[in-house]
Amino acid sequence: MAGRNLPLEAPLRPRYVGAADVAEWKVMVVFALIVINKAGGLIYHREFHEGLNKLSVNDYLVLAGTFHGVHAITKNLCPLPRTPGQPPTGIEVLESESFRLQCFQTLTGTKFLLFTEPHQPNIDGIIRKVYELYSDYVMKNPFYQIEMPIRCDAFDRHLASYIKPRQ
Amino acid sequence: MVVYSFHIFDRHTECIYSKHWLPRPVSSAPSKQGRPQSNSTLGTYDGEDAISTQPSGLTAQDDAKLLFGTVFSLRNMVRKLGGMDDNFVSYSTGQYKLHYYETPTNLKFVMLTDTKTNNLRMVLHQIYVNLYVEFVVKNPLSPVEHPKGEGVANELFEMGVESFISAAF
Amino acid sequence: MNAPQASAVPAAPAALQQPAQRASVGGLRYPTNRKTIYDRNLNRSRTSELSKASFAYLFGEMVSYAQRRVTGIQDLERRLNVQGHPLGLRLLDLLLYREPTRSVQRPTRILPLLQFITTTLWKHLFSRSADALERSKDNEDEYMISDNDPLVNQYISVPKEMNQLNCAAYVAGIIEGICDGTGFAARVTAHSVPTELWPAKTVFLIKFEPEVMEREAFLEKAR
Repeated sequence: MAGRNLPLEAPLRPRYVGAADVAEWKVMVVFALIVINKAGGLIYHREFHEGLNKLSVNDYLVLAGTFHGVHAITKNLCPLPRTPGQPPTGIEVLESESFRLQCFQTLTGTKFLLFTEPHQPNIDGIIRKVYELYSDYVMKNPFYQIEMPIRCDAFDRHLASYIKPRQ
Repeated sequence: MVVYSFHIFDRHTECIYSKHWLPRPVSSAPSKQGRPQSNSTLGTYDGEDAISTQPSGLTAQDDAKLLFGTVFSLRNMVRKLGGMDDNFVSYSTGQYKLHYYETPTNLKFVMLTDTKTNNLRMVLHQIYVNLYVEFVVKNPLSPVEHPKGEGVANELFEMGVESFISAAF
Repeated sequence: MNAPQASAVPAAPAALQQPAQRASVGGLRYPTNRKTIYDRNLNRSRTSELSKASFAYLFGEMVSYAQRRVTGIQDLERRLNVQGHPLGLRLLDLLLYREPTRSVQRPTRILPLLQFITTTLWKHLFSRSADALERSKDNEDEYMISDNDPLVNQYISVPKEMNQLNCAAYVAGIIEGICDGTGFAARVTAHSVPTELWPAKTVFLIKFEPEVMEREAFLEKAR
């Protein structure tokens, strides 16, 4: 390993916030959204932008189940001694070369998986808004059966109007 | 930046090298096999485990298997979604971050660090190029395959990793 | 020496304690200042806004409740209608009471009644007026009130197999209660008329009974 310099981190350069950056922040490229129920079943999936491979419904079901399992295992893989009162969380962010997957687990065990571009800013904000829409248009709908697949027009509509026009 | 552990898996899903910089919190018995489990900083390893209150009866090998299963599933998931030329890079939880690098020969390098660490793909790549290739591949005495988890028991590689990690972090 | 007294005394405190006990057991909650909604002035309307979320949950449960043992969508709408009806009757009294004393008058003609519904009632229930009031072209006795985004339906997505259903049947029941209370027997139904801009648009169809139309024609002539 003699003599090679490691490009561990990009050199620090002052960064100025300009109009271009502000415009860039508003760009929202969300590839897809998946909602997984407590038991690991897929209850909602929707694609918004091109960018990921097209998967069949069956593939999505498998993906949801796999992720549910891996999420549980990653809790156990925690190398640190456990701090009482603060249980380890599972996967929160997964990065690949072409996308970024953010997972948000509600206190009730429902998981929201948001697939975005690798450098999408403000994903926490987006996912919270999605959770808000879910609490409004799914959980307040008397025709929705808990833990069952989500088929709510109002949820679809509001999700689309939140995510789509910000392209 | 803190490194917790480092693992190499060969193309037969076998863990051929693992090194921990922290005492493993979730194990009940140390490795029985002659795997090059580096114990340089694990002076209290057995003692800690004896008083461990963790209910889990997992051994180091079980941990490695879980780790492999996780990265394998995630890698396949990423390939399915992002296409065959996409690569799984890392994931993070609230407590730790896992970095992943896969060579064209299907060797998998996995490193667990704290969550604030930036992407370590380059570091893992350097370990592969400058240490693994130099001291393991080019070493005529090193086994090519690792049946029964023989592992990379190689002093030069071991020392290289140790000094590389302490230099890099 | 104390024994006989002890047996005689408890009667009085028990009587005194009674209201407190009722407060904890009965359905009505007593706030710390011991003033219930019945102690409030009926004219107070400024601070009477309610949480939309809690209404949404309550209404959701009302719909679920009405859904039990129903035979079909018509039956479900009828049940929601029946739930709204008494509310309309009571609101009529309250809203007329709140009108300025000089001009207060029970609507005796159809148009003032409908205006009372689209403005006074709508503002009381939804804090805004209804979006349109029309008379049917085909039938003399039919009037239509449209609401572009009914508050009760805001969070409700009706499943495809029940697409005839509109949960605003509850509001239709309230309107029917008002009409009944004023002496205009009518049948009120809610219909979804989705448009591009207003996917939840609802039209309330008010069909007055023949005797109401007869009286209306008579009053028109008498003017």
